[in-house]
Amino acid sequence: MNFFETFFDYIKETYTERLLYFPSNIRVSLLIILFCVVATLELYLYMAFRRLRQANEKLKFEKWQEYISNMLANLIIFDESDKTEDIVGHFYPKMKKLPLRNPIVNKLLISEMLVYHKNFTGKIEEVLSILYRKLGLDQKSKQKINNRNWEIKIEGIREASEMGISEIASEIIKYTDDENALLRMEAQAAYIKLSENDPFHFLDRAQERILDWHQVVLFEIITKNKKLSIPSFSKWLHSPNDTVVLLCLKLVEHFMQFDAAEEVERLLKHHNSRIVKKSVEIIGKLELSDAEEHMFEVYFDQPEEIKLEILNALGKISSGNYNDFLSSRIYSNHIRIKREALYAIKRDPEKGESRLRELYHQTTLENQALIGHVLDNRIKS
Amino acid sequence: MRDFLVTFETFFNNAIFYYALFVMGSYVLLTLLSAIEMSGYMKKNSYVNYREILVSPLAPSVSILAPAFNEEATIIENIRSLLSLHYGNYEVIIINDGSKDSTFQRMFDYYQLEQVNFSVDYQIKCNEIRGVYKSKLPSFSKLTVVDKVNGGKSDALNAGINVSAKDLILCIDVDCIVQEDAILKLAKPYLEEKYQVIATGGVVRIANSCRVEDGKLIEVNMPRNLLPRFQVLEYIRAFLMGRMAWSRLNGLLIISGAMGLFDKNVVIKVGGYDQNTVGEDMELVVRMRRYMYEQDRRFKVVYIPDPLCWTEAPADLKILGRQRNRWTRGTIETLWMHKDLFFNPRYGVLGMLSYPYWLFFEWLAPIIEFLGLSVFILLASLGHINWEFSLILISMVYFFSVALSTVAILFEEMSYQQYTKGKDLVKLLLASFLEPILYHPLTVFWAVKGNIHKFRGKNNWGAMTRKGFKDQHISTETEQMT
Amino acid sequence: MSKILIAEDEVLMLKALEFKLKKDGYQVDVASDGRQAMDKVRENTYDLILTDIMMPFVGGMEILSYIKNDPIKNATPVLLISAVGLENIVLEGFRLGADDFIYKPFNLNELSVRIKRYIKQNVF
Repeated sequence: MNFFETFFDYIKETYTERLLYFPSNIRVSLLIILFCVVATLELYLYMAFRRLRQANEKLKFEKWQEYISNMLANLIIFDESDKTEDIVGHFYPKMKKLPLRNPIVNKLLISEMLVYHKNFTGKIEEVLSILYRKLGLDQKSKQKINNRNWEIKIEGIREASEMGISEIASEIIKYTDDENALLRMEAQAAYIKLSENDPFHFLDRAQERILDWHQVVLFEIITKNKKLSIPSFSKWLHSPNDTVVLLCLKLVEHFMQFDAAEEVERLLKHHNSRIVKKSVEIIGKLELSDAEEHMFEVYFDQPEEIKLEILNALGKISSGNYNDFLSSRIYSNHIRIKREALYAIKRDPEKGESRLRELYHQTTLENQALIGHVLDNRIKS
Repeated sequence: MRDFLVTFETFFNNAIFYYALFVMGSYVLLTLLSAIEMSGYMKKNSYVNYREILVSPLAPSVSILAPAFNEEATIIENIRSLLSLHYGNYEVIIINDGSKDSTFQRMFDYYQLEQVNFSVDYQIKCNEIRGVYKSKLPSFSKLTVVDKVNGGKSDALNAGINVSAKDLILCIDVDCIVQEDAILKLAKPYLEEKYQVIATGGVVRIANSCRVEDGKLIEVNMPRNLLPRFQVLEYIRAFLMGRMAWSRLNGLLIISGAMGLFDKNVVIKVGGYDQNTVGEDMELVVRMRRYMYEQDRRFKVVYIPDPLCWTEAPADLKILGRQRNRWTRGTIETLWMHKDLFFNPRYGVLGMLSYPYWLFFEWLAPIIEFLGLSVFILLASLGHINWEFSLILISMVYFFSVALSTVAILFEEMSYQQYTKGKDLVKLLLASFLEPILYHPLTVFWAVKGNIHKFRGKNNWGAMTRKGFKDQHISTETEQMT
Repeated sequence: MSKILIAEDEVLMLKALEFKLKKDGYQVDVASDGRQAMDKVRENTYDLILTDIMMPFVGGMEILSYIKNDPIKNATPVLLISAVGLENIVLEGFRLGADDFIYKPFNLNELSVRIKRYIKQNVF
């Protein structure tokens, strides 16, 4: 007991009467100690408080989650033959009674409705869309879109997009070229789903980059959405925005749009090497044998990456016109070039493998090993 | 003499004070930076749907490279969990680095391997590859096993790079527990940054006392032993605070050897992993950065704070000491190999900020601390110490480090909150009180020992690297804070 | 009464499927992640297994391959649920012996008809 008393007295004195008499560095040290101790204690309090609040919220959340998910699961018991109005009539009063002002309830109801809407088709989807509007949740989504905060904007856009609130497409368009990349992407994705007459209009006005990640997302949406009418993407292949060109090239490839052939050939001379590479890939994939010549023309000026892609494309086309060229590639200094050329020869379904076997007998040991590699189907290229 | 001692004492006190102030100031700055970066990442990431990239044909292709040396006990299970990661376009390459036990035979039998006519393109130098094997079973078609002559971890990774057929390479320790969405999260920056991304690194977390079944992490627990618990604290501080801040500055120097995703072409251009250093993970990133500066290309090294990789930390003083000793040597070697970077404006952030930081904080800090302590003991034995002032100075450093650890724990609480049990949180906070007294002096001791080893026996190393990497569980440097 | 196992990590979906299949008169067992599902599959025999492909710890593919490699249980029909339309996943699924694929979004009533068909086939 005595020890603690002396200790506290010492600290008290140090920080009061004696503080001014210390050399300045010790004084600063004392102040830093005080600050650190107070900060640490405050952090403890904050963390404890945070944990308590979390536990409390979790309890409330679980209670409501149980209630709301049970309620929604009841949607299942209705049949396709039941009338839509009857089902809506059954659920509307129940949902209306929920304390929607409570943020937990509001969030839960919306997110669960979205999950059902996303995963089920048929009656459930239809009923949920109607209920969403009847409960006025569509208005709330609209308000969110006009919120100043980008996170809330995104939330609103996602809700509207999932629930198919198409009248807000005109409001979303202005965000499709926003500076904030995340917002821009969400807006573009939603616009494709929501716009009734011109879902790809945003490509005309896109000045900002469509990042690769966004291209992945947009590509998924465009290629998986069966209701979408697919335009000819060649229209955007001369866009000044390289990322638009790239996205459209990927779509041309996926939808096998042969009408874009000429544009794609033109792009072989593009200044952006990624576009050149993709164009070559498409020429191979669509087997555009008319373009072979053009590829051959540019071949020797290209970096290795694109050379490889051209060899691959020549292999896919397998017209036979460039057989000698491909065979002569095994004298290249680069193993990757050799290997790609050999794979290209192999691609000819009729004579490919036999030509490789022929080559095998005329070439060096090193090349023989490579040919062995290429002929081994257990190795995926 | 007396006068001199008195002046020296004042000077010594001042020196400690200003040095401490400088170090603490840097940490405060780094903490602020990491707070900004962390909150930005958390906010952005909550809007990402990773499933899209999983299915997309546009996602980059990835080769997982996992060197294995004498891993017979766990290899089958480790491979199985690597094969079940959530990603579309990836392959798993296990490099058997001349194991002396039955590692290879076990893989051969269980996965029904057969040799294929693989003609290896030795783009990077590595020891002879004896054979490349694939499984006969279609369900293991993602698996490739490379059997090679022993050459150490770097050499094994280089061999894997030569065999890889994908765009990106994920270099991991085979005994790590890899979270299922690890590739997804690490690959994403390659698709979204304005500049070319050359590498992304993941966090390493400590799996001691956690529940693991079939190679999957089921439940996170606080390590029961004190030694790994201190390391939990150390890792949280280093990864959540240190690296996040460096990522913000685009000056991140190390990607832990336990998990890093690299652009294969750049790795090949710079010649792969260096076999002459025990700090190969740090050295590679430095070399890749250099290369990009020399090519005048804008680039980024990104760091993902999500807990993606869990590993068993040494719970034994001897093994831990060996690990830290090696880290120190790795740091010295890397710094020495790239000494021309020091305050070289040609290399931007790397030369002006990252390199000097590493030199002063990672290499010199433990030495200065050690010297300071020695002088303190000397002065004390001569009776020339103002005990009160010294204690106040020491307390300042102590309370600052406790506060810093507490902030780090707060970061963890507000981001991933892996330790869900309240009891575990309390344990961690208590550890932060003991750590500066019990654990920190040990790390200083090991670091100093590493320096001595390095400068005394220069010729020892070749032999040391060739021993394999059994105890290199996480060959990464955690930034030692204070 | 036929016994069905549903494995799905999205709780809401799990609940909906459970409701629906119970209403159709099956005895239903549920698992909210792959590990639980695997434990249940090992211990019990089911007349049909409905599993999501992407689940924590153990994926639907692993459950599928366990069932189809088990000498006694391999006749159990396995239906895979997937939001994923990637060709090679579907191919791999069928190669491992999957009986059918269900793509999200799907119609619950259609699912219930399909399940009825597989269970009937199995009885004969």
